[in-house]
Amino acid sequence: MTPPVTPLPYMDTKPHGHADFYFAINATFRFILKRFGLEALRRYWQDMGAKYHQPVGERWRQGGLSAVAEHWRAFFAAEPGAEVEVIAEPEEVRLEVRTCPMIKHLREHQREIVPCLCQHCYYVSEAMAAPAGLTVLISGGNGACTQRFLRQTANQPGQQLDQIKEAA
Amino acid sequence: MTGCYDFCGHYEWTFEWLRQQGGHELVKAYWDESINQDSQVHASTLITAKGFEGMKEYWGPTLADEGAVYHRTVTDDVFRIDMHECPSKGFLLRNGLKQYADYCDHCMGWIGPMMKGAGFVVDHQHNHCGQCWWEMRRKEDATAPSAPGELSGAEDVRLRPGWLRDEPVDTYQRATEPDDKTTA
Repeated sequence: MTPPVTPLPYMDTKPHGHADFYFAINATFRFILKRFGLEALRRYWQDMGAKYHQPVGERWRQGGLSAVAEHWRAFFAAEPGAEVEVIAEPEEVRLEVRTCPMIKHLREHQREIVPCLCQHCYYVSEAMAAPAGLTVLISGGNGACTQRFLRQTANQPGQQLDQIKEAA
Repeated sequence: MTGCYDFCGHYEWTFEWLRQQGGHELVKAYWDESINQDSQVHASTLITAKGFEGMKEYWGPTLADEGAVYHRTVTDDVFRIDMHECPSKGFLLRNGLKQYADYCDHCMGWIGPMMKGAGFVVDHQHNHCGQCWWEMRRKEDATAPSAPGELSGAEDVRLRPGWLRDEPVDTYQRATEPDDKTTA
C-alpha cells in the first residue's frame, strides 16, 4: 500500500507529541554547550537541519514556499500548546509564533532554559532552507517570535543574531 | 524549531552525532548527565523518594502520554513492565530511521543510573523490535528474574509469538548501566 503523502516526512500514530520531550531537547542543548561550547552547539544544530531534516529540505527544494507553509502548518499542529499563525505570501512565508510550545512547557515546569535556545530555530531552519534556495530571518524569541522564510537573493541581509532574544 | 512530535527521530540521530564527536563514552555520559540528571530529574526525584510508588507515579502518566501499549505488575518487592508496543522504537521502525547502532540501549543508559541512585537493580531484556520487559528490585533483594508468565501471566511479553525474531535479544541482570549486557 502506498503510504499517505503528508507535509511531515516522519509520522506518528498519535496526533501530538509528548511535551515532556521538550525537557530532553533543552537538556541536550545544555549538555553540548557545557561539554563543547557554543560553536559546537551551533554545528550540532546545523547538522541536524542539513542531515536529519534533509527530507524536509528536499520537499522545500521541490515545492518552494508553498511546501514551506504546508510543513510549518502540519508541524505546529502536532506540537502541544503551540499558537502559531502561518502566513503564506508570494515572496515569503511568515510564522507568527505567539506561543512557543517549548518555552511554554519549560516555564510551566520551572525548568532552567538554555539562554541561547532560541538561536536553534535559526541554525536548524537555515540549514534546512539553504539547499532549497531559501533563507530564514528571525526576530524576537523567549516565547514569541517572527520567522520569515524568503528566497535567497544576492543583496539579502543575513540574520543578525542580536535580533534573537535570550530565553529565560 | 525542534519538535516533540518527531522527538524520537532526532534523539536517535543525536546519539550517533555524539558518538562521532566523542565515542561511546560520550553517548553514555549524555544518557546519564543530560537525560537522567537533567531532563528526567522529575523521575529520579519521585523514585528516590517513593520507591515503587514513585515508579507507578512516573511511568503511569508518561507511558500513557507517549502512547505505549504495555502491562504493569507491581508487588511489594518488584516493579515489572511488559512493553508490547514501545512508542519510541515503534516510531523509528515505522519511519525507517536508524543512525545509531542500538537505540534501545538509551533506556538502560538513563534508567540504570537513576535506579542505582535510588537503590534498585534492574533485570531487563529488549528484542530490538519494540518489545521489552523490566523488573526493578531493591539492591538488597537477590531474587532472580521471573520466569516467563510467573509475574505478569499472559501479559508477559516473552510469551508473545513474535518475541524471538531474527534480531538478537539483549539481556541485563541486576544491572544499572548500559554496557552491562549480553547479546544472543
